[in-house]
Amino acid sequence: MASIDITDVRKAYGAVKILHGVDLTIQDGEFVVLVGPSGCGKSTLLRMIAGLEDISAGEIKIGGKRVNELDPKDRDIAMVFQSYALYPHMTVAGNMSYSLRLRKTAKEKIAAAISGAAEKLSLTPLMERRPKALSGGQRQRVAMGRAIVRKPKAFLFDEPLSNLDARLREHMRGEIKKLHQDLGATSIYVTHDQIEAMTLADRIVAMNAGVVQQVGSPLDLYDRPANLFVAGFMGSPAMNMFEGTYRATDGAPRIELGQGISVPLAGPAPTAEGTKVTLGIRPEHVLVGRELPGGFEARIDLVEPTGFGTILHASAFGSDVKAFSLERGLAERGDTVHVAFPVERIHVFDTATGARIG
Amino acid sequence: MTEAVNAAPYGRDRRPFLRRLASASEPYLYSAPALILIVTVMLVPLVIGISYAFRDMTLLDPFSGGFIGLDHFRALAKDKTFWQALKNTVYWTGYSVALQFCFGLILALLLDKPFRGRGLAQALCFLPWAVPSFLSGLNWAMLFNPIVGPIPHWLYGLGLMSAPDNLLSSPDHAMWGPIIANVWWGIPFFAITLLAALQSIPRDLYEAAAIDGATPFQRFRSITLPFLAPTIAITVMLRTVWIANFADLIVVMTNGGPADRTQIVASYIFTQAFRRLDFGYASAIAMVLLALLLVYSMLIVLLRQTLLRER
Repeated sequence: MASIDITDVRKAYGAVKILHGVDLTIQDGEFVVLVGPSGCGKSTLLRMIAGLEDISAGEIKIGGKRVNELDPKDRDIAMVFQSYALYPHMTVAGNMSYSLRLRKTAKEKIAAAISGAAEKLSLTPLMERRPKALSGGQRQRVAMGRAIVRKPKAFLFDEPLSNLDARLREHMRGEIKKLHQDLGATSIYVTHDQIEAMTLADRIVAMNAGVVQQVGSPLDLYDRPANLFVAGFMGSPAMNMFEGTYRATDGAPRIELGQGISVPLAGPAPTAEGTKVTLGIRPEHVLVGRELPGGFEARIDLVEPTGFGTILHASAFGSDVKAFSLERGLAERGDTVHVAFPVERIHVFDTATGARIG
Repeated sequence: MTEAVNAAPYGRDRRPFLRRLASASEPYLYSAPALILIVTVMLVPLVIGISYAFRDMTLLDPFSGGFIGLDHFRALAKDKTFWQALKNTVYWTGYSVALQFCFGLILALLLDKPFRGRGLAQALCFLPWAVPSFLSGLNWAMLFNPIVGPIPHWLYGLGLMSAPDNLLSSPDHAMWGPIIANVWWGIPFFAITLLAALQSIPRDLYEAAAIDGATPFQRFRSITLPFLAPTIAITVMLRTVWIANFADLIVVMTNGGPADRTQIVASYIFTQAFRRLDFGYASAIAMVLLALLLVYSMLIVLLRQTLLRER
């Protein structure tokens, strides 16, 4: 087990810059998820920690030791690949014991290590099979088994669940979390799926275009997104965003959304009168009803029942408003209703910079 | 067809005999054109050729052609030149295939790594394969000739030869001339096929192995070789059969000489058939070669299947 320190790490392929200086410290035993859209540099960063990509600039330390110049084999990390990368000509036992055999570990120790890992991952009846005779979920577990037999300093996961179907993904998510609670190993997990990030992480690192956007606990990122990118990326259905103008001259801070609608704010925002701002509110915080004080009229365009709740798409003040409610039968398509934005649930961002201002 | 299938389970077929015959022969009629073509182009010449081995077929003797049983094979068993040619064939095939394979594998491994100008290097490396074998034989014969070629002078300069003589006229070393020409000519075949196989190995396996702690040589042994093994087996088998039958370079460069020292079975067949015009005897030799190569191929196919099953 070890901590990982990443200091001003950059990556460029020729003139194309992939990472623009990443600083991050991962505590011993922490589960950190790197999340972001495709091409944001999260996988590149993980591969640089693993030693599969050169570090263009900056420094990576594992357990306090600089590893920039070390080969992957000398970094003492284990990685689970998206494609699993199991050796097709070896059995499950062979795959799991390969790293130990390379280290010339004693036979009895190898047998103990792989049977322990197999038990933890319920792979014991499959030990003599080859990967092609396994299902996707079983292959995934073998890939994890291969990682844990070594007791490495850190586990790296590169989108390990994206080749599985939805149900299995949910199941394996639980297994990974349980495994981490068992082993308490430092883990870095890359995904583009914000649900995986939310459920697994001790801390989430949200990335976009090679820059870290926000680092924090899952609920931090959800409840207080630092900018428009994080606000839009985390959460499904996605946060409602409305552009407007900040007004506070008369001592009542509010955002004018057009068509004579203005939404009052809890307090003044640190910005000038007349600034273009973006109001954000999560669909589950939008109130919908026949008559709401401080609400405004909206027409229901679309009703999406999810079973768990209902997503309502409504149009108001020339914009689309999404609302999520656990209640069923709140409204039908074509109904005219009232929607309201509770003042304590409103996020305010500067439209030009994207930064959170209230 | 469907009618015939449906009618079958219901006891005696009551349709007229000709109708039944027509529907029963339908599949054979459809495949007849292809079968007839294959039989006439492939089997007929093969059977006629094999029949020569049991007949007295000498082109210059108008009374030849009679059945003589196993006489040719009896003569063959006592033919010293044939046994020498068989030994030479093993020598020629073994060295040619082994060297072609080694250099081809090295070339494929080098071309698998990206570097500047790889496209051009690949094209150049595969060039010898495009040279007609006769031309390459003539070219190498010229290179080994001390009057016009540089190689004897280089070997002399390096102290490997006591005088700049023609390698092809030395009874002890003449076989190396065609072998070297053959290796030069055949490396691209192995390089191309092995490169294709190398490029089909998923890259992340190498990455996983690197993280697992494997050195480059261990990665080669535990990933590259197992993945290449089936391709290696099939290409080595193909090349062995081809090279054992491949008399072009020898006929062009040494014509089997000096004193039959470079005579292989294939060139001996050529000599018997087209110089001595004894087609019967040549055909008997060819049958022996065919039988040997068949046995060899069966062994390799078995080996390949074992390798593939292990995957």
